[in-house]
Amino acid sequence: MDKKYDAIIIGAGVIGCPIAYELAKKGYKTLTVDKLADAGEGSTAGSCAIVRAHYSTVDGVAMAYEGFKYWLDWRNYLGNVKDEKGLAKFMNTGSVLLKSKGHDWRKVKRNYDVVGVKYEEWGLDKIKMQIPVYDLHEFWPVKRPEDPSFFDDPTNLLEGAIFCPEGGYVNDPVLSAHNIMRAAETKGAEFMFKVEVTGIRSQNGKVQGITLKDGRRFDAPIVVNVAGPHSFKINQMAEGVWQGCNIKTKSLRHEVMHCPSPEGYDYLNDGYHTSDGDLGIYYRPEVGNMFLIGSEDPKCDRQEWVDPDAFYAGQGGRGRDNQLSEAQWKAQCYRLGRRVPSLQVPNQPKGVCDLYDCSDDWIPIYDKSDLGGFYMAVGTSGNQYKNAPVVGHMMAELIDTCEKGLDHDKKPLQYKLPHIGRLIDVGFFSRKREINRSSSFSVNG
Amino acid sequence: MSLFKIYVCVKHVPDSAATITVLGSDRIDANVTFLINPYDEHALTEAARIRQQHAPAEVVAVCLGPSAAENTLRSAMAMGADRSILVVTPQDHDSIFTARALKSAIAQDGEPGIILTGKEAIDTEGMQTLFRLAANFGLPAATNVVKLQLQDAAALVECEKESGAVDVIRMGLPCVVGAGKGLNTPRYPTFPEIVKSRKKEVKKIDVAALGIARPASRVEIIELKPAVENRAPRALTGSAAEIARQIAAILKEEARVI
Repeated sequence: MDKKYDAIIIGAGVIGCPIAYELAKKGYKTLTVDKLADAGEGSTAGSCAIVRAHYSTVDGVAMAYEGFKYWLDWRNYLGNVKDEKGLAKFMNTGSVLLKSKGHDWRKVKRNYDVVGVKYEEWGLDKIKMQIPVYDLHEFWPVKRPEDPSFFDDPTNLLEGAIFCPEGGYVNDPVLSAHNIMRAAETKGAEFMFKVEVTGIRSQNGKVQGITLKDGRRFDAPIVVNVAGPHSFKINQMAEGVWQGCNIKTKSLRHEVMHCPSPEGYDYLNDGYHTSDGDLGIYYRPEVGNMFLIGSEDPKCDRQEWVDPDAFYAGQGGRGRDNQLSEAQWKAQCYRLGRRVPSLQVPNQPKGVCDLYDCSDDWIPIYDKSDLGGFYMAVGTSGNQYKNAPVVGHMMAELIDTCEKGLDHDKKPLQYKLPHIGRLIDVGFFSRKREINRSSSFSVNG
Repeated sequence: MSLFKIYVCVKHVPDSAATITVLGSDRIDANVTFLINPYDEHALTEAARIRQQHAPAEVVAVCLGPSAAENTLRSAMAMGADRSILVVTPQDHDSIFTARALKSAIAQDGEPGIILTGKEAIDTEGMQTLFRLAANFGLPAATNVVKLQLQDAAALVECEKESGAVDVIRMGLPCVVGAGKGLNTPRYPTFPEIVKSRKKEVKKIDVAALGIARPASRVEIIELKPAVENRAPRALTGSAAEIARQIAAILKEEARVI
């Protein structure tokens, strides 16, 4: 006989686990399934786990700021659960947004004021005092090292920075997902690993359950797609879901570099997470006194859309622990080298190569679907890690209210952020939306 | 005072992190990242140090390789070489030919004060070229050098042996030194150094123009087989303290890294 659950969650990453946790807290009997061996081992493991609040929309800022409250109070959020692997740590470095043409920082500042985000405005002297290794010239527009003008001497200076003291990063994204899984288990949530979903069963417009590759079937009236880079494949398995999405998702190859901090500079302990739109990169400290250098997807960089199964199988580009491209290594390290002229760039690329689950407008889809009982938290586009606990709570609210009769498409759920008290129109994340032209179309969201 | 010329022989090799695929039976898929041989980075770092201490001196990087090896020479110049020479060849060569080509290119350029290179290349791991180069010049050589001092027209070097013993050798100059990992921490270039290196000279010489005599016999690659990595995981059991002791014993006695 097929085993029955109230809800099945596909994907035990940092977004799937909190959805399971919050549904379990509401009394749902949940099963979370994942293809990999443990929680957070998919694209969550490749996340830079940045916790920052600067987004281009007020709701984006509000959600991220709400997320801070969870990270700052991690133990309590987890219900003081014991995880045999220990707890992930929030590294509260503070977050620097350099004022540049690469970010609409004025809009960010307005959004900070509306939401009530704590921040300071730093002039160049203050930045230099706090971070003596930065060269504060303007290098805009973002270029690639293949372009000879990349090496031109700068003339202008940046305007300053907005510093958000509550920002930072989480030291171990895999562990953070594992922590949430352990917390969810205390509420009765079940997790099953090394199983691959090959079918989403439905009848009369209602989802019935999932079928696994090994032939096992599990039934549930609710199925939630949180499959990360595989999200579009799961949507395609569910009757009418893919077709019913105006916004689609696909997977984007992405590289993050690890470059040693300059001699004599303790970046690990003295450094700040920095968003540097002037150079199209962001950086934060990494274990081993390294700079972790991410890309803000500047227009001059080529985007490589890949099939996630082929990618992880190592075909046509290698998987997460595998090879970075030399050209991108140089692009990201040399860009940082402009900001930090004392940075030494090794010849051998080192870092992480993984996939983003990217939506058409780089804004996630947190929504129901055209198939009854089928929900999705997809298209997180490399910028939703910090929101994971918020998304877990919001998705559980959405699922619960929809199952109780709310027509979310007609009258979208207005979700109240529990910590900061602000209402979010969940319809903003609808699959039916038109492409949001005010999006940054980048990891900045 | 005449210019003390420090030649550093470098090789353009596949990134050690690359997935190497064998094409046909005797060549690899070259569609992977190629970089400067990591041991040569130690040689370059040392060369830059010697230049400072023995002014006036210059560091010249020399490479036998395809046109794409210019990239490796740019890396060498960013790490401190003042200029470089690329002997362009479309094919791979054995160490006999390589040493002859390097000798010819160096001799054509100037009189070496000292020649440095990595103790081996990470692709072929032949460990012969530096000795053959020394023999071609009629110079002394030492390999896996972990300490190098120049004094009174001689090089005082310490060479690490596999047994863990250290040989202390005095060689007259010029000589050939094979840099080991313990020699130094490679000093990688900063962005301003990378900018400077872009303007430095890469002199290209066609290998045919050197008129290298073909050796009577040579080493040929008949077949390449991918190395099969057999992982043999084993679980350690016991209390945390016992497991820690076992790990320490493994690192010390089996891996010999502590």
